Amino acid sequence: MHSSLVRLQNAFGFFTTVAFVVAALIAATDLIAPRTPSVGVLKPTNVQVVRGRPHYYSSKKEEYAIIRFSLDADLSSLFTWNTKQLFVYVTAEWPAAKAGSGSGANATNQAVIWDSIITSPSADHLANLGPIAKKKLIRSAQGKSIDPSRGILSLKNQRPKYQITHPSGKIAQQDDVVLRLHYNVQPWVGLLTWNRDSDVGRWKTLRDNVSKKFSFPEVKKKE
Amino acid sequence: MLSSLQNPRQAAAQLLNFGLILSTAFMMWKGLSVVTDSPSPIVVVLSGSMEPAFQRGDLLLLWNRNLFEETNVGEVVVYNVKGKEIPIVHRIVRKFGTGPDAKLLTKGDNNAADDTELYARGQDYLTRKDIVGSVVAYMPFVGYVTIMLSEHPWLKTVMLGIMGLVVVLQRE
Repeated sequence: MHSSLVRLQNAFGFFTTVAFVVAALIAATDLIAPRTPSVGVLKPTNVQVVRGRPHYYSSKKEEYAIIRFSLDADLSSLFTWNTKQLFVYVTAEWPAAKAGSGSGANATNQAVIWDSIITSPSADHLANLGPIAKKKLIRSAQGKSIDPSRGILSLKNQRPKYQITHPSGKIAQQDDVVLRLHYNVQPWVGLLTWNRDSDVGRWKTLRDNVSKKFSFPEVKKKE
Repeated sequence: MLSSLQNPRQAAAQLLNFGLILSTAFMMWKGLSVVTDSPSPIVVVLSGSMEPAFQRGDLLLLWNRNLFEETNVGEVVVYNVKGKEIPIVHRIVRKFGTGPDAKLLTKGDNNAADDTELYARGQDYLTRKDIVGSVVAYMPFVGYVTIMLSEHPWLKTVMLGIMGLVVVLQRE
């Protein structure tokens, strides 16, 4: 009962128990913090469909949609002391081309056209930037555990990161396309959370995160 | 030093105790596997392709049941490429269709391109059954021990050596 091995085991066991309980408490604080994200504007500003190849050596030609958009949103309430990063992404969604193409009438196609990683000051040293940009980032929020200005997005005629297509290769003249804003909160410890369609406790849902319907134009002809 | 072996009943009791501990741990692991419906419910992050969210050595808890809604775009999932055993932790960026035949495309946050090149030859998209689970909880650093043990196998021998030495030098 008094050997060093037993003592070491007891100490280690106690350490893991305490660490686990502390981690659970930290994760629980996320549920108490209220969230009130809001979207002001989300609209496509320029939509084009071009013909291209998936990669340089591929022989298939597919149609790609390039959707530039404007976004105005305030996601600063999502940052707590337990937030490591916020992953924000805009998807383009549209229903299935025709019923009977393998899925039901409500089948949707979703593709991410733009995403952004917003680190919280506690995780700035992990951000994927070069040395100068990283130093600037760390200095911009030094001393603060939360930087609310980081959650405020204001994009005008933003170029999309990804040009999207459909597995069939055809995407031109598709109707009923909408843009939707989503977020994913990555904590230091605990559950990963995404935006929900309804309120959950103190977390308010992200209203107005869907744009009006628009259509993809026909393929741009080379002059 | 060999006091436990002088009393065979005590040795047998110790062996049984050891077996009980091992089987309890195994049962808890398999029980978690059944609850989450995932063959491997706790995963250690091995690569840096999801930085800055996940670093090497972080622990992820997976959930493989679609109780309220389908696995959607934006979720972080773990999948195995057909024929390869290494699980990959990436985010779903595209989904075409619904149900088990929906086509999914994944991409690591830290990668510039999506995972099309990682998939098996001729496979352009994943389906739901390729996915081992989607990440629901996260704990940093805890899994780094397993990475060190797998990348430096001599560490295992050293650890066992130290444990053996401590047991042998005990005086009951």
